[in-house]
Amino acid sequence: MFGFRLSAQKPPDPRRITDDVVMRFDHIYEVDPDKMAIFGQQDIPAWDTHRIVDSRWDHLAWMHQHFADTVLGMSDLGLNEDGSEPEQ
Amino acid sequence: MTTMAISDALYDELVGILGEDGVLTGKPARWNRTRTPAPFPVHRWKEYVPDVVVLPRTTEQVAEIVRLANRTGTPVVPRAAGTGLTDGATPLRGGILLDVKRMNEIREIDLVDRTVTVQPGINMLKLNEVLQPHGVMFPDNPASYPCSMVGGRIGTSGWSLIGARYGHTRDLVCSMEVVLPTGDVIRVGEGGGRKLRKASTGYTIKPLFFGHEGTLGVVTEATLELVPRPQAEFAAFFGYRDYDTAWRSTGALAKSGFATLAGVVLFDEWKLAYLRRDDEAYIEQPDWLKSVVAVAMYGNKAEVVPAAREIMRIGRESGGSYLGDEISQGDWAARHDRYAIPLHGRLRTGEVAPMSWHCEDAALNYSVLPRVREEWHAIADHYIRRYGIFDDWGMFAYTNGAYKPWGDYLVEIDIGIWEQKLDDEMWEAWLNCKREITEVTLRYGGSISACHGASRAGDVEYVPQELGGAFDVMKKIKRALDPNNVMNPGKYLLDQAYED
Repeated sequence: MFGFRLSAQKPPDPRRITDDVVMRFDHIYEVDPDKMAIFGQQDIPAWDTHRIVDSRWDHLAWMHQHFADTVLGMSDLGLNEDGSEPEQ
Repeated sequence: MTTMAISDALYDELVGILGEDGVLTGKPARWNRTRTPAPFPVHRWKEYVPDVVVLPRTTEQVAEIVRLANRTGTPVVPRAAGTGLTDGATPLRGGILLDVKRMNEIREIDLVDRTVTVQPGINMLKLNEVLQPHGVMFPDNPASYPCSMVGGRIGTSGWSLIGARYGHTRDLVCSMEVVLPTGDVIRVGEGGGRKLRKASTGYTIKPLFFGHEGTLGVVTEATLELVPRPQAEFAAFFGYRDYDTAWRSTGALAKSGFATLAGVVLFDEWKLAYLRRDDEAYIEQPDWLKSVVAVAMYGNKAEVVPAAREIMRIGRESGGSYLGDEISQGDWAARHDRYAIPLHGRLRTGEVAPMSWHCEDAALNYSVLPRVREEWHAIADHYIRRYGIFDDWGMFAYTNGAYKPWGDYLVEIDIGIWEQKLDDEMWEAWLNCKREITEVTLRYGGSISACHGASRAGDVEYVPQELGGAFDVMKKIKRALDPNNVMNPGKYLLDQAYED
């Protein structure tokens, strides 16, 4: 059951990524809380963090579709993932 | 409770034109229509508040308001979405703030002659949602795309992120209806045609009504270009070990000559440092990555696929490493984010502070980009060290010419400003920073603005220097069209037109 309290789904402790950044969930970055003394970091339940990130992906997909029927990647061009030509 | 700041007689006349629901005198209505997203002297907010806000729905209502302003000597400041970055929609002398947001009708979609006719208060994203089922698009795509409006784009002579492919705002308006500063209503286009793209009859008047920042009237209807909705979008982000290699690669990509090329943008080391510090796409990028070049293409799939393959070859052979589909596609789709997310900056200690975003822009030729970049960053660094409320968020250079993206660039340095700390000393420091940046631009043969306009303090002082004799012509035009100086008075130093 989702709770609307931080304690109901407390995010995991952060892992340090760089001097400036920590990470609690894969590929979701936060400013190092030690660098947020003037303006304190907001507590966000885990479910809300995931909601925001999912919404972000929805937004980007919507924006692609808004401007064109298809988005081309390397496979559509017949190239390798790193953009190089496949070996003949 | 409302706060009346205009005479009862003027209020009654406005209500007579618009009805009570079209005339707002309350404090929130007026104070919220004062500033724009550009840094603003928040400690002097009350100096820029309009006396009354009006919300017309028709051209005739706009014309009546302007005629009333002439009779009473009341300033009129047009405002669409208020997303501009040169304070065109910020009143300098109170008066009537004419908000066009209720003028948001789509009047006609012409799929035969490929135009759409709209009122000025419509937003491009909402317009394109309506156009999409018809297989067409209005391709004006600023960073403010989700929130800016057609009327403001015309008043600013806006710049589009896909302008290399489709043109900028001024290239995308066939004709428009304008309420002149006297209240007369005219239509300007190519000759007398409403849906023509080129004519040679008489003076070419239409360009005069792009970028005037509300000083020459109010656009009340525009007939816009429609293009086929693109089948395919392609974006590629390349990484480089140094700026100079990235700059040369940018030149090679921009000169590739593909009609589907919508834009090429070059991010410098400072921008990468900012993105590496505070942007999810770059935090885990390797240390060697010092500069990035992005390319975007639109068109039919049969055109875009072979052209994109060639773009990939040019990018590789000019020293770029492809950063992958996820970053390329995600960052391109995120190109409007600046208007949608709260920003933070860093003090010199690395401490986070809430900062507003200022992008100081210019138009500059390709050849001078590396030298301008060094001088602009040196200026920013001086002010960051001395005052402690600024942060350098890096620079980018974006292909500027419509359909000819090879010779000149929209160049911006993004500077974060901790607005809550502004006082007279800090504000003056900021203006001096802008002035020094502008002096560099002019010394290298550039223009103060490619995109935002140049009517703000810190820019506008240099407009006579940049334009020379053309500024005298500007003044003569202003006085001829606006004999009582009612349209957005005080902007662009145009009070000088009335001095003798």
